[in-house]
Amino acid sequence: MNILIGTVLIGGAAIWMFLQLPNAEWRRASMVASVQMLKFMLPRMVTALLGAGFFAELLPEDRVQVMFGEAAGFSGLLLAAAMGPLTPGGAFVSLAIAAAALKTGAAPVAALAYVTSWSLFSLTKILAYEAPLMGRQEVIARIAVSWPVPLMIAAAGMLYY
Amino acid sequence: MRNITADPPPAPRRRKVIDKGFLVLLAFTVLGGIGVALKSGIGRVGEIAVETLGFIVVLGPKIAAGVFIAATLPLLLPRDRVATWIGRNSGLRGLTIAMLAGLLIPGGPSMTFPLAAGFAAAGADLGAIIAFVSGWSLLSLNRTLIWEFSFLPHDMVALRWILSLPVPVLLGLAVRALPLKVRT
Repeated sequence: MNILIGTVLIGGAAIWMFLQLPNAEWRRASMVASVQMLKFMLPRMVTALLGAGFFAELLPEDRVQVMFGEAAGFSGLLLAAAMGPLTPGGAFVSLAIAAAALKTGAAPVAALAYVTSWSLFSLTKILAYEAPLMGRQEVIARIAVSWPVPLMIAAAGMLYY
Repeated sequence: MRNITADPPPAPRRRKVIDKGFLVLLAFTVLGGIGVALKSGIGRVGEIAVETLGFIVVLGPKIAAGVFIAATLPLLLPRDRVATWIGRNSGLRGLTIAMLAGLLIPGGPSMTFPLAAGFAAAGADLGAIIAFVSGWSLLSLNRTLIWEFSFLPHDMVALRWILSLPVPVLLGLAVRALPLKVRT
């Protein structure tokens, strides 16, 4: 259902944009640019999503959950932050893991670090979408400034918990 | 949108399809596939491949629309105006606009990254792009309200969101302050 709503929204935006192109010459230029980008992006996306599928099999969800549910203290925080990017799949998977880890005794600040780290650094998102579309240098710059954020959010969360 | 009826469209930029980055990605995927074959048998590799390809087929229309938007947006947006709003010298206001845009757009990565690439090609600077991507990653209303609230304790979701609120603008400022030379 969510995929359908998203497809309608993004499809509507694309159609509106197509209608803004003034003449055949511009429509052709837009098509050429789109095909160029698709040729570049599609092989990367297929490869990255296949890889994500394989690594999900090698590192199953319940394993991730057990690892960070048992972890405690500062090393637990680091581990939780490190698992964020490694969690394959979308929001559904990572949030379910965080919820299950909380139930099995993970510290709330570890869950904060994990969710923040997944949000910013999910490898599936970076490899399948960000790197092919934005380029490697943008990814490196973004990680260079963002890497401490999950630990900082967790540290600030300690004032509450 | 700019008035472009009289102008010819710009020539497209060409990029090498197979480069080092792609080969590294390919190597990881092949290693993962070998790992799965050793652990669960070659049949499982095939099953995962079929599942993944099915997922990509379902995503297909979204990917096509996203790519079209990313490629067409820079043709249509007036470069000087984009630069004023979210360019290098757009200041805190530009970063805030970019962060809010990220927070509000309702889609997943197949919507966000094509838009970000489109804005970058149309004249947004790296600081604004990172504020936009981080705003979406950390603050997306769609994901927070629909998904996070249904899985996690409400006070934790609210705490995470409030603590993250200043982060995208700060990251944008940090990127602008760093002496990075990035081709966008």
